[in-house]
Amino acid sequence: MAPPGLERILFTEEQIDQRIRELGAQISRDYHGKTLKLVGVLKGSIFFLTALARHIDIPLKVDFLGISSFSNKTGAPGVVRIAKDLDESIEDEDVLLVEDIVDTGFTLRYLLQTLAGRAPNSLSVCTFLDRNSRRIVQVPVDYRCFEIPDRFVVGFGLDYNQLYRNLGYVAVMKPDKGAVQH
Amino acid sequence: MALIAVSGHPGCRFEEVARISAQRLGFELLTQSRLRVLTDQEFGAERQIPDKAYPSLVTSILARLATEAHVVYCAVGGELQARHFGGMLRAHVVAPENIRVGNLMLDNRLERAAARQLLLELETQARVERKAKFGKTKATADLFDLVLNAESLTTEQMATLIETTVATTGLKERGYLSTAAEAQLQFQMRLKLARFGIVPPGHVTLRQKMFAHQSEEMFANLLDFYRIAWEYEPRSFPVQYDADGAVLESFTPDFYLQEFDLYVELTTMKQSLVTRKNRKVRLLRQLYPHLNIQVFYQKDFENLIFKYGLVERPVEA
Repeated sequence: MAPPGLERILFTEEQIDQRIRELGAQISRDYHGKTLKLVGVLKGSIFFLTALARHIDIPLKVDFLGISSFSNKTGAPGVVRIAKDLDESIEDEDVLLVEDIVDTGFTLRYLLQTLAGRAPNSLSVCTFLDRNSRRIVQVPVDYRCFEIPDRFVVGFGLDYNQLYRNLGYVAVMKPDKGAVQH
Repeated sequence: MALIAVSGHPGCRFEEVARISAQRLGFELLTQSRLRVLTDQEFGAERQIPDKAYPSLVTSILARLATEAHVVYCAVGGELQARHFGGMLRAHVVAPENIRVGNLMLDNRLERAAARQLLLELETQARVERKAKFGKTKATADLFDLVLNAESLTTEQMATLIETTVATTGLKERGYLSTAAEAQLQFQMRLKLARFGIVPPGHVTLRQKMFAHQSEEMFANLLDFYRIAWEYEPRSFPVQYDADGAVLESFTPDFYLQEFDLYVELTTMKQSLVTRKNRKVRLLRQLYPHLNIQVFYQKDFENLIFKYGLVERPVEA
């Protein structure tokens, strides 16, 4: 049974598993003969990245990075920066940046700019969810699991106030009642 | 007055350093695109400006702006323009080839080899432009007060260094350019521009960044956070004319994002007004099909600001 605050399930565990298997096979074909480095963006992508990695059957490395988050509450939002950097260099590596969701494209644009300057051999993007309707900055998305409508979703890594990440499925938040629990 | 000239090698993203510096210092940012807008306003969009007239034209516009604000100027040859003004700081951003090639890979969706080729072309283009406008192909280090390396410094750190230098040298404490000094500069520039048949500017004014709606300010903050250059209401587009060709109605999109050549309109007003705005946008798209405009309706925008923690609860999508 879905927790309170959720309106409906958008993608079931079975649908997610099936789609990730397909994507894993496609990535394995595209990077055949190479060693792939998956770079996950904390925290949302970790669930997707680990599931995806298990269905990629070529040599694979994993690293993570995190960026500072925007908040207007202080009145001085500052600028985006790397809060947790990669542990290893990506020079001459074939890098696949793994995101939980791409919507405006702001975050992805910043990450791509940052990583491209580190001389990778190639740099591509894989996202679990793509909310294309909200795109402001056109960014390249090479692999996507699902396109989603313009609704607020949680689960499988995506959070609301840091909760719901551990759901095995993706669900749409109730517009108003979601906040009641918090 | 203070004039901070920020320039750099192609692919260095020195524009970002200029923008952050201007934001932190509270200076007016004058970019190549804004300069073009001001030039068009003063001389008409159809007028071709000869390369040799360019430095005088820029100095004339800078002088006018400098009577109202301190300025961060980010365009080719800024370090040479700056010499006309007393309180100047000239900063130059450099970076190794791999950093610059990486930026171009992303901006243009290119493989490494193609990006390297593009960099060569941009460097050639910059040399040609500099030669045509300023008679020099290179900007050597002695022309600058600060040379910053983007390999080891982030854009924020570079902006901090500029900010510190401005504080150390007391540039910010200087008054704006006096009317007398401006008049003298304008006289000299007027003489030079007259040789090219160009009437000098007479009424360049600064647009204050006063937002009509709080959501626009939030959106501007969000763009700043992601280091995306923006202009607020930079241009109006006539959408309806009367029988004599006089403009009856215009549309002014809220934001222009130069890097993406994209206009953004935030529609956060009440529903009764949205219909009218929709009609204007439709007209705009019909009349200016080449224009790239994205409209954010209230619900879209609320979701966006919710995502970035600006409101406390999710809202209806």
